Amino acid sequence: MYFALTDEQRALAETVRDFLADRFDLTAVRAVFEDTAGDGHPAELWKAFAEQGWLAVLVPEENDGMGLGLLDAQVLARAFGAGAVPGPWLPTVLVGEAVRLAGSPAQRAAVLGPLAAGELVATVALRAPGGSFDQSGVGVTADIDPGGTRLTGTASPVEYAGVARTAVVAAKEPDGGIGLYLVDPTSASVTVTALDTYDGTTRLGALTLDGAAGERLPESNAAVLAELSRRGAVLAAADLVGTARAALTRTIEYDKTRVQFGKAVGSFQFIKHTLADLHVGVLMAEHAALYAAHAVDAALPDAALAVAVAKAKANDAAERATGAMIQYHGGIGYTWEHEAHFFYKRAKRLVGTFGDAGEHLDRIAALSIDA
Amino acid sequence: MDLTFTPQEEKFRSELRGWLDANIPAAWRDPSFWRSVSDDEGFELRRDWERRKHDAGFAGIAWPTEYGGRGGTPGMKAIYDEEMALAHAPQSANALGLTFLAPTVMAIGTDQQKRDIIGPMLRNEVIWCQGFSEPGAGSDLAALRTSGVLDGDEYVVNGQKIWTTNAMHGDKLFTLVRTEPGPGPGRQAEGGISPVGTNNDQSGALEAGTARRDPEARRSHGMHRGISMLLVDMRQPGVETRPLRQLSGASEFGEVFFTDARVKASECLGGVGNGWKTAMLLLSFERGASGISQYATYRRGYDEIVAAARRLGRDTDPTLRRELASRLVELECLRYHAMHVLTQVEQGRDLGSESSITKLQWSETYQKLFETFDHLLGLDGVVTSPVDGLDLASLQFEAFWTRSVTIWGGSSQVQRNIVAERVLGLPR
Repeated sequence: MYFALTDEQRALAETVRDFLADRFDLTAVRAVFEDTAGDGHPAELWKAFAEQGWLAVLVPEENDGMGLGLLDAQVLARAFGAGAVPGPWLPTVLVGEAVRLAGSPAQRAAVLGPLAAGELVATVALRAPGGSFDQSGVGVTADIDPGGTRLTGTASPVEYAGVARTAVVAAKEPDGGIGLYLVDPTSASVTVTALDTYDGTTRLGALTLDGAAGERLPESNAAVLAELSRRGAVLAAADLVGTARAALTRTIEYDKTRVQFGKAVGSFQFIKHTLADLHVGVLMAEHAALYAAHAVDAALPDAALAVAVAKAKANDAAERATGAMIQYHGGIGYTWEHEAHFFYKRAKRLVGTFGDAGEHLDRIAALSIDA
Repeated sequence: MDLTFTPQEEKFRSELRGWLDANIPAAWRDPSFWRSVSDDEGFELRRDWERRKHDAGFAGIAWPTEYGGRGGTPGMKAIYDEEMALAHAPQSANALGLTFLAPTVMAIGTDQQKRDIIGPMLRNEVIWCQGFSEPGAGSDLAALRTSGVLDGDEYVVNGQKIWTTNAMHGDKLFTLVRTEPGPGPGRQAEGGISPVGTNNDQSGALEAGTARRDPEARRSHGMHRGISMLLVDMRQPGVETRPLRQLSGASEFGEVFFTDARVKASECLGGVGNGWKTAMLLLSFERGASGISQYATYRRGYDEIVAAARRLGRDTDPTLRRELASRLVELECLRYHAMHVLTQVEQGRDLGSESSITKLQWSETYQKLFETFDHLLGLDGVVTSPVDGLDLASLQFEAFWTRSVTIWGGSSQVQRNIVAERVLGLPR
């Protein structure tokens, strides 16, 4: 029995932490956060990601990647969450997963190598506004023309739609099935509309396709979409877990030194008990993200349940921890100048990404009550 | 990441499973069986069954062979815990002794104590009780007043213990008594609940300069001083036991009264005046792989609750389904946490105060699961058999039992203090 990260995985986490502390701390995050007109994609950060191999983690070795698993990728996602890091890492990595899972050898060669090297920013467009992250939420339709497949419909919100040069779009097909398509978001039949969002640690857009050309990933189907969404959910959960841990750690440190009524506020029993409960919750979410990543990597029989558990738990832990960060900093935690809102807003966004609590709880209920 | 057990451990699992299959009477697997027999009968059945299990080689799984154990791995202990739960094996008749006293004796007992205590305990010849809590010393354990006064080569013990599990069936009691007078009745509580194992010592205020920086130093002062752990024969005229009826209707625990009870001075574990340290060592043994068996047991409870709801057509309400699903989230987290704990144990790491996290996770999850039982079944959950063929009595009984698990073994509030102060480093 070994339920823990390896020494290498722990070292990876430390490398990211040290890198961020040194090269992209919260001051740098703030600059991106407040530059609402900017693309939210610091070039020097992306370059460093590529150099460190953080874009290559899931790309197979034959495509010049590192060939590691979701367990390693969740180490990165967790560290990025803890640093409130902006940039299109998650959607780019997921495009790599889609192509790896369902692409032809030619598509793999065309996409995965450049993606691992940091030469390709990409994104996933899987749901329509209001939709869930499964087959039923897909809002794009594929029409098979003699001249090629034409995609029509809307996907939103799409992370970094404005800077992505490739998008993987989920579309309903004439036979009732689902296909995943490579789409060029800069083509004339695709409109990218930047969406105003409160979370400055990302950039979001709507992708409107009007008969856009799409290159089908030949092995894609509804099951691949589900698998891709599961992987997205694990990485979003890991990011949330990192966000939650950072929020909690910062709050504990503050409450050890903030004095009111002549005592550190962290000595008051109600605050202690709240922080203790949060610690237990975040710890369980950390376990759950770890287990889910492994369950997907190893295709364990309970992988679907594990992913739903991890996302539901991470959602809850992050919501509570980032809310508590504001509350237990008092008035200063509610100011723009304080960093609490970076974590709070990032968590709010990611809670809905790849399935909110209700969606995952419904899945858990179906798996455990109806089965 | 490797969530498998070794081939040797899996071989142990199949041997154990085979033995349990052949040796647990079918009637015992019906949850209503244990309610159909009296407390005394049930206890004797469990006592005899456990003795047979010992004779078959399935006792003291991870203990050294020199103490009568099997010399197994922590993984085997985890498997043992899980299989016992899956097989509906009865609760141990000697759980307090096996879980707490034995490892403490192995760690710090004298050779004579090791010989005298461990073998008879494993064979259930001596049933052990724990005498820690008193009417005035619950969460604030160090406030205990039971006294032991040396008279020749014996201590004369006077006082009272309470919440003593198996008090009516016990043969011996490991108990904390004050063998030197404490700081006296002038002492005041420090505000709020003091955790078991943390200092709640006003008399230490004068030494605060050094003591507050060093918890170990503080622990050796004041109220924690002068306590000894004595091993008292309960079958003597100076020891009287009375059952306490719990709100569930069962009488698993009771009160123990000492009136000039006598115990040989050699029957002191860990040294005179070291009782607090000994008690903290003893309590630290409540960790390891127990989360795995708890998951197996509670998951069965979850499935039974779901089955009952289905019988009543109440399994389709979307709100209740989500509530139930959120209980399963916590249960699965308990399972992952148990694997984490087992990994730490196998790596030889001391979990220390982190065991409070385990306690919070299992006890709060277990209790909330049965709150959901109430929500799910509504009025139909109030009667024992709402429809023909559905018997809810065992689940109802278990639901009452879950109200106790956030109290005993250190209440949830005590555990939160420990997590806040010792794990998170928040100031006292």
